[in-house]
Parts: sequence; C-alpha cells; structure tokens
Amino acid sequence: MRAGSVEIRVGLSSCGVASGGEAVRDALVREAGGRAVVKAVGCNGMCHSEPIVQVLHAGKPVALYGNVTAGAARAIVRRHTPGRGLVNGARRLLRALTGGEAVDLADHLVDAEAGPAAEYLGKQKRIVLENCGEIDPGRIDEYTARGGYQALEACLRLEPDAVIAQITASGLRGRGGAGFSTGRKWEMARRQPGAVKYVICNGDEGDPGAFMDRLVLEADPHRVLEGLAIAAYAIGAAEGILYIRAEYPLAVRNVRQAIRQAQARGFTGENLLGSGFSLHLEVREGAGAFVCGEETALIQSLEGGRGMPRLRPPYPVERGLHGAPTLINNVETLASAPWIVRHGPAAYAGLGTQGSKGTKVFALAGKIRRGGLIEVPMGITIREIVEEIGGGIQGGRKFKAVQMGGPSGGCIPERLAGTPVDYDEIPKTGAIMGSGGLVVLDERDCMVDMARFFLRFTQAESCGKCTFCRIGTKRMLEILERICEGRARRDDLGTLEELVDYVSRGSLCGLGQTAPNPVATTLRYFRDEYEAHIQEKRCPAGRCPALIRYRVTDQCIGCTLCAQVCPVGAIAYRPYEKHEIDDKLCTRCDECRKACQDDAVEVVSPC
Amino acid sequence: MSGPGLKNATIAAGAVMVLSVVALAVDYAVMRGWTPASDAQIAALQEKVQRDAKLAPVLAAEQKRIAEFNRARRARVNWLSLVLVGAAAGFLGGAKRLLAGQARPPVRVPERGPSAVWPRAGRAVAAQAAAAAPEIDLTFVDGLIEKEGRGAEAAIPILQAIQAHYRYLPDEALRRVCHLTEISPAQIAGTSSFYSRFRRSPVGEHIVRVCHGTACHVAGARQITDELRRELAIAEGEDTDPSRTFTVEEVACLGCCSLAPVLMVDEHTAGKLTPATACDALAAVQPGERA
Repeated sequence: MRAGSVEIRVGLSSCGVASGGEAVRDALVREAGGRAVVKAVGCNGMCHSEPIVQVLHAGKPVALYGNVTAGAARAIVRRHTPGRGLVNGARRLLRALTGGEAVDLADHLVDAEAGPAAEYLGKQKRIVLENCGEIDPGRIDEYTARGGYQALEACLRLEPDAVIAQITASGLRGRGGAGFSTGRKWEMARRQPGAVKYVICNGDEGDPGAFMDRLVLEADPHRVLEGLAIAAYAIGAAEGILYIRAEYPLAVRNVRQAIRQAQARGFTGENLLGSGFSLHLEVREGAGAFVCGEETALIQSLEGGRGMPRLRPPYPVERGLHGAPTLINNVETLASAPWIVRHGPAAYAGLGTQGSKGTKVFALAGKIRRGGLIEVPMGITIREIVEEIGGGIQGGRKFKAVQMGGPSGGCIPERLAGTPVDYDEIPKTGAIMGSGGLVVLDERDCMVDMARFFLRFTQAESCGKCTFCRIGTKRMLEILERICEGRARRDDLGTLEELVDYVSRGSLCGLGQTAPNPVATTLRYFRDEYEAHIQEKRCPAGRCPALIRYRVTDQCIGCTLCAQVCPVGAIAYRPYEKHEIDDKLCTRCDECRKACQDDAVEVVSPC
Repeated sequence: MSGPGLKNATIAAGAVMVLSVVALAVDYAVMRGWTPASDAQIAALQEKVQRDAKLAPVLAAEQKRIAEFNRARRARVNWLSLVLVGAAAGFLGGAKRLLAGQARPPVRVPERGPSAVWPRAGRAVAAQAAAAAPEIDLTFVDGLIEKEGRGAEAAIPILQAIQAHYRYLPDEALRRVCHLTEISPAQIAGTSSFYSRFRRSPVGEHIVRVCHGTACHVAGARQITDELRRELAIAEGEDTDPSRTFTVEEVACLGCCSLAPVLMVDEHTAGKLTPATACDALAAVQPGERA
C-alpha cells in the first residue's frame, strides 16, 4: 500500500450480503470517489457484527467498524480520507446546516485491541482463516502477495513422498469429522497402483448449523485450490473435483473464478509451473442430500446415481470414482496443507494437544452473544469458546449445553464444558468433533425437542439402504413426537434406548451409525426432561407447543405491544386494560413474550 | 389435429352438406316443372315436321339441345351427390370425435417407456404438468445434452441445468433426456426423487427457502415458516400460494447460522428475522406484494 493511501475493506460473504453489505459497499464507493480504495473481501468471521468495514491507513492501526449502515459508511469515509480544505469544510458546514446524517461513529467502532472484539479474536489462532476478511477472493494477486501458491511451488520441487512426510509429521487429522490421519490417507492413496487417480475436495457441508466450508470457499478459494493441488501432486492424481453444495451459490461462483485465474497463471492445468505435473480441476454442485458427505455416497453421486453409501472396504483410496483410487478430503483439511508446507510441520504440530494437532475452525451459533466463524488451537475448552470468545449467552440467560457435530453429534451439558476440544476427549462425552458446528443452547431450549429436531433431519436424509436406519429412525422419531406432544407411553423410553443401540449397530455408514447420538446424549444428560414430558406432561424449558400455554400476568400495564405483534390476532387490542390471550387461536410463537417490556407474559403448563 | 381446427372443419363439412342438399332439392324442383314443357315442345315440333319437312333441322337442333341439357343435369346431380356424401362423412366423423373429446382427453403416446415411470408425480401434479406442458420448448434440452454428454454420469448436471432453466423438472424434458442419452427412466426417477434440490412440479414466480438448520430451529424457524404460510394463504399440503407468486420451501441449512433465523428469496438472503419482518423480506423481490 502506498504511504498515505487509504484502503477500505467491506465484508461481502453471504453473511455480509445478507446483512446489507452491498448497500454499504455502494455507499463507500460513491462517497470515497478516488480518495480511497474500496475492496470487497470475505467475512473475517465476526458474523455477529456484519456488515463489517475495516479501514487501513499505512502506518496506523486498523480501524474496525461493525453493524455498518449506508449512513455510517459515508461517515467512515469522511473521517478517514484526507480532507481537501475548503471543499470539505463547505461540505461539513452544509451538513451542519441541514442537520442531515448525524451518525455517531462511536456506535460502530469496534476496538480490536480491547473489549469484546479483542476477547473474540484474542484466543483465536488463524491458519485456515488467515486470509479471510483480508483479501479480495476475486483477485489471485492478493492471495499470492500473502505467500499464496508458494507452498505448491515448494512441493513441486520435492518428491511426493517428502510432501506426504511433512503432512504426516504435522499430525493433521481429517477435519470432516472422523479425524483420520491425513498423512496416512495420502500415503495409502499414493501406494495404490494405477495411472488414473482422483482427488476430491468434499465441500458438501450438509450439517445443519455449520458453515466453515462455505466461508473458506467464499473468502479464500485459492487456498483450497492450492491444498488440492498439493494433495494431487503427492498422490499422483491428474484430476481434481471440488464437490460443493448447491446451497452456496457464492462459493461455487468464487471457486470457478479462482480456477480460471489459477489456470491462467499455470498453478493448475497442463505442466504446473514447468514441473511436468498436470492437474485438471472441475467443480460439481451437490444436489441436496446430506448423506453425500459420506465418501462412498459422494462417489455414487458423482457417477450420476442416487447417493447411497456402499460397504467399505474397499475404501475410496483403493477403489473410488470410476473404480480408480480416489482421495477425498474436507475443505478445511486441504486449506490447512499450504500453511503446513510454508511454515513447516513442526510449527503446526506445536499447536494443540498430544493426539490432536493444529487448529480447528468452528461455526459458533445459537444463543451465543457473539456468533461467527472462529479458529482455535486444539485443546481449548468448550467453556473458553462459549464464555470468552462467544461472550456468553444472549440476554444474560443460563448456558445449558452445546450441540456439537450436528446430527451425528450430541449435546454436551454445561457441567462438562471443561472438556477440551480434542479428537479423543470429545467422543468420551458421547458427542463427536464433527465438522465444526457448535450450537449453543440456553435454558429455554428443550432437549427433547432438540433430539426430535435432529431425528427428523436424519430420518428425512436416510438413504433407505439399511433397514435399521430407514425404519429405526422413523420409529425413534415417532416416539420423540409422542413425548413432545404429551402422548408418550410408559415403555417409550425403554424402546427408545433399545433403538439407539440397534440403529447404531445395524447401519452401514456414518449417518445411520451416528443418527441416534443426539438422542443418546440427551437421554444421558437430560433424562429428567424426558421424564417430565412423559410423567407430568410438562416441558421444563417451556418450548413444546402441546405442553405449554401463554398467560398474561397482573404485571401487564395494557401497552398493547403484544397485541400488535401477535401474528394470529389472539390478543384483543384493549389499551390500558390487562390483556388476555385467546388460547384457541394462540400458536405458541413466543412473539408476545419477546415483545413484552414488563415481563408480563409467562409460559405455564396447562396441567 | 388439434381441438379448434377440428371443430372448424366439422362446421364447414356440415355447411357443405346442407348446401348440397339444398342445391339438389332446388335442381329437382326446377327440373320437375321444366321437363313436361320441353316434352310438349318436342311433340309440337314433330307434328310441324310431319307437315313441313323444312323444319327438320330445327327439330334436330332442339332435340340435341334438350339431350345436352339432360346430360349436364345428370352430371350435376352426380357431382353434387358425391360432395354431399363426402361432406356428410366429414361432418359425422368430426362430430363424433368432438363429442368423444369432451368425455376424455386424447391419449399422448410416450416416446419411450411406459408413462408410469414417474412414480412421485401425483395425479394433481401430473394434471398441472399436462396443463403447462404444450408450451415447453425442448431445444434447451437438446443443446444441453450436446454440452454435457450422453453418459449416465452426466445425469445430475443435466437435471440441475434443466431445473435451473425450467425451475422444475418437466416430464417432457425428462423424456427427451431419456430418449437422447444413455440415462434410463429408472435412473432419472431415482435421482430426481432422491435429491432434495429437484422438484417435479412447477414453482411460483419466486422461491422462498426458509432455513431450518439447528441455529435457525432454536431461533424460531418454525414460526417464520408458519407465518409465511399463513400470510400467503398457502393451503395445507401445498407449497405455493394461490396466485403462484411464492413457493415456500424448508431447507436444511443455508450456512448463515449467526444471522438465524434466515431465509432466502431467490438469491437474496435475509437474516435476524421475526415473524413480522419475514414477510417484509419477501417484499425485496416483489415490492407490490405487501403494500
């Protein structure tokens, strides 16, 4: 950056766009004119404050603004661009006279050195996310300026075995969920005979509550391409496929663009950087099936069929796509590889714990105050993530549990929040590391409802091949629905526990084997909630619609706020009188309780 | 022949039939009055010829003229009768088909395979598809297959492109794919019903995808969907409003968990919703909808 010049970055990943980032960008560009460079970057992970604007002056610390509106954007430009004496003064005078656009920038300024943002960023260690929010994903120059593709160049000078040795030494484990050693997987793929081999980047991020892959593919696509190219060189594959969910249109667009740019520079295509090694890349969009995250199902899907898993072995590294050895790695795994090569395996292995090295990206969401994408060293405890990085629970309510690993994972209760993030420690709680979805639950979340939510998902996504998964999940879902509706039978809990065991043992792939996990963990840690639903017909969290009623208490001042927000008109509009809720019309949407300023709406149990 | 053309042809045949009957009747009536008169004229002439031989050529000429006239009339009657028979046949045939057409639609013969290869498409859906079907232009499918290839592994990219183009998978387009490629009807039926992105029924003008991921679920995605369905008056078991403007779908996760609850209208994402603001989010694509 030239001395004295100003660069303004605005986060335009899906989350930034959804928060109105495009209007902010337009306002910045219009206001800045030629006085500052406005750059669209990916999300820096602070999704809770989107749209985010960063201002960089040469020689000055970065100024960070959150929740920026178009008006605030104009104020930011005015504050940070050099004034042109008379013109600027006249402008300021005009604004003062017309009284227009009084934006207090202090409301938007985020102090990255102290306070909440520092807490959010302080404990993080950014490897995979090092460029997210820093570079324009549409420009390969910005990636190469930050050391991009140097790792690939270095690898092309090494023997493939030496590359694999580095990855093995780093201790990197597959970030898709199972945590298999990446180096060993590459080694197995390399040893397979055959001239045709494939490398597949698995970006079919189907876990509800997870968005790590989306953000990396959107904000730093070249990193994934570089990792893929390194993997392809290491195992000797000439074909690479990026399998990306169709729900992520921006990720697909950015990756396609990145491939074109990389090809133009000779980082992919024929004879990479004169090494004699060639790699052809292709993007394939998923068609919407959770089970396709499973390796063999993904291959079936690429071959044009229904995504149904098959028995392993043979593993895809032996017989995969079109019968050829196929290496399938998760987006985050591949995105870690360039950093490892550039900084050396020891630097990576220096982070983390005995069995789990490096960092892990988590999608922090749910009832957390500061949600977003975070990257933390392995070994950090769940409590540190929730309370320090995430800033605790919204609205000062009580932290109840975290749901980890999506439909394959489980709920870890608050009392086990001291568990470190580690491939060997997390499974002891009954949950799994999973791909990185971390949904925080508070006291108003019903654990039976959570179990039902995930069962509904796995039930719908079961491919139907294994009887236990196809029918077992259906029966489990029926029982959970009965429990939530207060129609449970006495022996339902026993049947549920039996099914947990049968379904996990009687299924072929990870989906079926882990589908009972949400039920098993909630039964283990929150059995009292199940019993309250069954025996007392009561939902302790006040969440299950069939078991609750809304009532207005005597604290009501008759302000009519609740009557205004009620979507079904169940509250009569009677100012200055105590309101009443018509139970027959009420849909238990909770809007009145949220709207009430005097805590005069309460949830009660009908019996 | 299509419906309206057939009807017009039937009416024309009926008209021709009626005209020929009238012409024949008039012809007959006129001739009936005229023939005795000409006979009497000939008889009178013959008498005169017996008295005066010089008149013989006149008689011959007159006889010739009458014979000529009679032959012309016979030819005219024959010709008209033929037209009448033809018109009557056309009229009766047309009328029969028209009456039969009211009772049941003409059966379309599928190009390949039995028409029951589409198991998931319910009767209502099939009827809708049939109603919208004649408008479908299949040149897109032909071009697409040229691009994607004819192998079985091209199935999903082909289906995705068809879905992107027509916004659902029309039966005609799928038949065309089966016809032109190695992809079998069974494979099409299997894949198109397996993946949640594929739709077999037409959609409204805009697609609203309400995220039902974990974060959105705990933040109240159910209420968002319920409110949209209520506001748009979408009937139970349907996913599109009566004016066919919005189709509301529930999806697994849109990956914007920190903005939960989230929905996506076409390509536009909106987050941090409440039931009240959810409906406003739709206004982004259809400003007039909620004035």
